[in-house]
Amino acid sequence: MILAEKLTSMAYWSHFVSIALFALGLLGFLTRRNALIVLMSLELMLNAVNLLLVQISMRTGTSEGIVLVVFVITVAAAEVAVGLGIILNLYRMKKTVDLGSFRNLSG
Amino acid sequence: MTLIDFIIAALKAIVILVAVIQVVPVMIYVERKVAALIQDRPGPNRVGPFGLLQPVADALKFLLKEDPIPHYTNRLLYTLAPFLSLIPACLVIAALPIADKAVLFGREITIQIADLDVSLIYVLAIGSLGVYGILFGGWASNNKFSLIGSLRSASQMVSYELPLGLAAVGAVMVFGTFSLREMVIQQEGTLLGILPNWGVFYQPIGFLIFLVASFAETNRLPFDLPESEAELVAGFHTEYGSMKFATFFMAEYMNLATMSGLMTVIYFGGWHLPWVSDAKLLEILGSQNLLCIIQVATYIFKVSVFMFLYVLIRWTLPRFRFDQLLTLSWGSLIPIGLINIVVSAVLMYVLGGK
Amino acid sequence: MKEAVFTFFSLFTLLTAAGVILSRNIIYSAFNLVLCFFGLASLYLLWGATFLSMIQILIYAGAIVVLFVFVVMLLNFEKPTEQKTRFSIIVLSSAGVWTLALILLRVLSKSLGEIPSLETPAKASVRTISKLLFSQYLWPFEVLTVFLLALIVGIFVLARPEKEETP
Repeated sequence: MILAEKLTSMAYWSHFVSIALFALGLLGFLTRRNALIVLMSLELMLNAVNLLLVQISMRTGTSEGIVLVVFVITVAAAEVAVGLGIILNLYRMKKTVDLGSFRNLSG
Repeated sequence: MTLIDFIIAALKAIVILVAVIQVVPVMIYVERKVAALIQDRPGPNRVGPFGLLQPVADALKFLLKEDPIPHYTNRLLYTLAPFLSLIPACLVIAALPIADKAVLFGREITIQIADLDVSLIYVLAIGSLGVYGILFGGWASNNKFSLIGSLRSASQMVSYELPLGLAAVGAVMVFGTFSLREMVIQQEGTLLGILPNWGVFYQPIGFLIFLVASFAETNRLPFDLPESEAELVAGFHTEYGSMKFATFFMAEYMNLATMSGLMTVIYFGGWHLPWVSDAKLLEILGSQNLLCIIQVATYIFKVSVFMFLYVLIRWTLPRFRFDQLLTLSWGSLIPIGLINIVVSAVLMYVLGGK
Repeated sequence: MKEAVFTFFSLFTLLTAAGVILSRNIIYSAFNLVLCFFGLASLYLLWGATFLSMIQILIYAGAIVVLFVFVVMLLNFEKPTEQKTRFSIIVLSSAGVWTLALILLRVLSKSLGEIPSLETPAKASVRTISKLLFSQYLWPFEVLTVFLLALIVGIFVLARPEKEETP
């Protein structure tokens, strides 16, 4: 199959790595109920995008992709900090970070 | 990368790593002897002449003692934590330039394990991984005091990475490169004819910030509240017995050696002798290998001066309280570091070039 | 040779990423995350982006995961605090995610095409990055600094201890 050919040839392997990383992060984001692990899966997704940006930079031969990666890393660090602050406050409210127990807004 | 290159690199790594590990027994002895001299008592003098075999006795004790593992702990993390502290301490050594080239069997070998073009960031990055050993060590001990000690120590190390980085940025601006080897090569000769051309004369405030931050990074007095005996039993390594405790201490002393090495490389000229340039030395001596040996000896001497300074300050100054510690970092060192960067940039622009 | 190393490190990254989302113990997840970031940093190194790999280790593995571990230790989870997710959710989300993955793979290989081989490193030295950062991307750079300032103030407000009523 063409897909299998593409997967195993070196030229497309890095696409597959970054997509698989994104898929794993998305899976963890949708499935796990612990807020900290959801944040970690978010970081995985952002890193998958970073990987793809570096590949783009290699493809076009400039450093613009890498500059964008620097921005993404900065914003990701910032967002993790805020997310952890929010989780701390959630813990103060309910003594748990299990996402199933925050049902104040549901119908 | 031919096979012979690979073998040379592996040999360099092994030799330099083993040489740096030898720092640990030397420091054990020097620390206790100097502490004794400062405190006006004899110090270790039973084991061997002048107590010189004391490190051997310590090593035997660590090897032969019982290695306890507490009950309700996560065994994997408990056993892993000392090595998480040791591995970054060993990895950082790879980027420190010890001497210039040596010529063996017709090949030029640089006395540095890995010459990266971003070795300064490598050192800072791997240095910031040392926090994990402390965090996991305190967590896996299943002991509230250890946990508090490890959290304090980790927050201290993280807070003081910032002034370290800011001082390093100042040095990078002056030298124009991130590579430690390039920094040392640029520190040759004299400045204005009288002073040696060292980094400390270009960035005196940066050097002071780096010095203070390195004390805090290695958990050394006056910043060693996390491992203070009087306050927290022994902090994060309370529950650790013989060999694991020894591993934590090896990691601490190797961190000391690395920080001293960094300071000599960035601020004190690395392998250069003070006023003499390398070319003149090569003329006098004639052989590149002899020059290399002198460079290594100079480097070791400078590193030893700094390590002696660490020991001296440990037994002289009292300990900081934890809030004073954090106020010092966030309230004083970071603003001074930022002002240092701005002033250096302005001076570089005004004076045009270096 | 380089390709084999690249494949090894990419498989390492994927395995540790799977470990992040599959571990029952949060500390194991955090540790797997650190290993995943190391794998990614080694991939960047193999591509020739040395500055980026060091920045990745410095910020991601050295600061962000430390924050995670701090929060885990402060919150002091004793029992496994998580009920198992319903099996139907796992099946449905897996199906959705892998479909998305296949679509993305097709889109990427059409638009991006082949990656040049590993022998040609990326033009990613500090000099080129900083030239771009301070000329063409200066405006986002400055906006980012203001953003970080706003963020620090925001976190400070978020993490303040609750005010106790004075009697």
